[in-house]
Amino acid sequence: MRIICCRFGDKFTNWYVDNLKHMIDKYSGLEYDSFEVIENDIYGNWYNKLQMYDKFRDGENLYFDLDVVIHSKLPSLIRKNFTLLNDSWWREAAHTPLNSSIVSWTGDVSHIWDKFKSNEKEYLEKYNKGSDEFYFKEIEYETYGKVCPSIKDYLYEKPDYSIVTLGQMHHLMEKGWSGWYSKYFI
Amino acid sequence: MIKICTVYFEGLYTPDYVSKLYRSLKRNTSIPFEFICLSDNPNVEADVVLPYNKHSDIKLHWHKLKFFSSQFANQKPGDEIIIMDIDQIITGNVDDLIGHPVSDNELVTYGIWWDSVIGINGGFYKFKSGSLDYVWNDFALNPEYWQMYYFRNKDVHFKYYGEQNYVNMKLHSKNMKVTTTPPEWLCKYTADKNEMVTLHKEYTRRFNTEYMLLDEPNDMIKVIHFTGPGKTIHDHNEQFIKDNW
Repeated sequence: MRIICCRFGDKFTNWYVDNLKHMIDKYSGLEYDSFEVIENDIYGNWYNKLQMYDKFRDGENLYFDLDVVIHSKLPSLIRKNFTLLNDSWWREAAHTPLNSSIVSWTGDVSHIWDKFKSNEKEYLEKYNKGSDEFYFKEIEYETYGKVCPSIKDYLYEKPDYSIVTLGQMHHLMEKGWSGWYSKYFI
Repeated sequence: MIKICTVYFEGLYTPDYVSKLYRSLKRNTSIPFEFICLSDNPNVEADVVLPYNKHSDIKLHWHKLKFFSSQFANQKPGDEIIIMDIDQIITGNVDDLIGHPVSDNELVTYGIWWDSVIGINGGFYKFKSGSLDYVWNDFALNPEYWQMYYFRNKDVHFKYYGEQNYVNMKLHSKNMKVTTTPPEWLCKYTADKNEMVTLHKEYTRRFNTEYMLLDEPNDMIKVIHFTGPGKTIHDHNEQFIKDNW
């Protein structure tokens, strides 16, 4: 199994990559064969993540955003078909209910990359709020159940869910912040 | 513990603004406090320096809202948090200001005596740690929206202004108690000479005194606040600055 993350630009330093690996190794219970980092900055935004569908065309793949907290054993997240989070159980859908903070697939889903590249200029303009809307409108997908809520609803108390996404609250990973989540970081 | 919290970033001001505020507070109060600065310069003079993240969505002075969160700056239950702007000169004993009593669900702020649409002054906030967390937590969910909201709404004339409008709105939405310090403690300073004449007149009339600011400030004044965009302290050469800053 392959773990994948994506880091580019100045917003997230190598600390965030090391920190994700630390949480996976120490708390998640996941066993993996390789830990891969996408660092090629083509678009200057999170559309860079789509490169993973071109680069990794075999085996089991599990992608995590860098701004998550993993604090205990994860449920089974490996999927055969292309699968990502659906946030509609904890937030209003807005332009998309999807959230690619966690993504999994097995084998070859390079058709996602091919479709995007075939008309990338239009897609970047049409779905300028992020790649999750591209998935929502253009790609066949499956979604996880209730596995990863937002920390905004669990700022003061650790949730039963073993992973939370920080989203707009990613400042909580910066120096100076402390809460239940802090002890799980490096 | 009283924590006095400030923000400094490279631009309008120089790092010595932080030192001068820190040292003048030490000179003018007998109350122990911890001085914290959120800064892009790790060498500013403070008891604790926390990093200012230039790559985040948070702009400029909006960073100071972080101190409203009890999860920031090593706050402990019972701490009293003071947030101060660094463009201020302390000119008298501030024990009554720093030690001003504050209860849960209350914000203490400068009393102001000049025309103002909002009833709070971002130069000084004091509150109990943990009692106003929602000010930061709600802002953090959509910073880009709030940072431009008051400019788009024409409440302020400069982009990314409106932080005190936001704080005021949040306090009112929760029916929080706002307590103001005696207004005569505060002097407003501006580089606009005509405006200063008007301010002098208003201060002397309102507080039945002979002057607000000559070579030295009126004895009632504890703090001189250089307010508004572009109004720096180091560009001025008045005697009261040499004596107190």
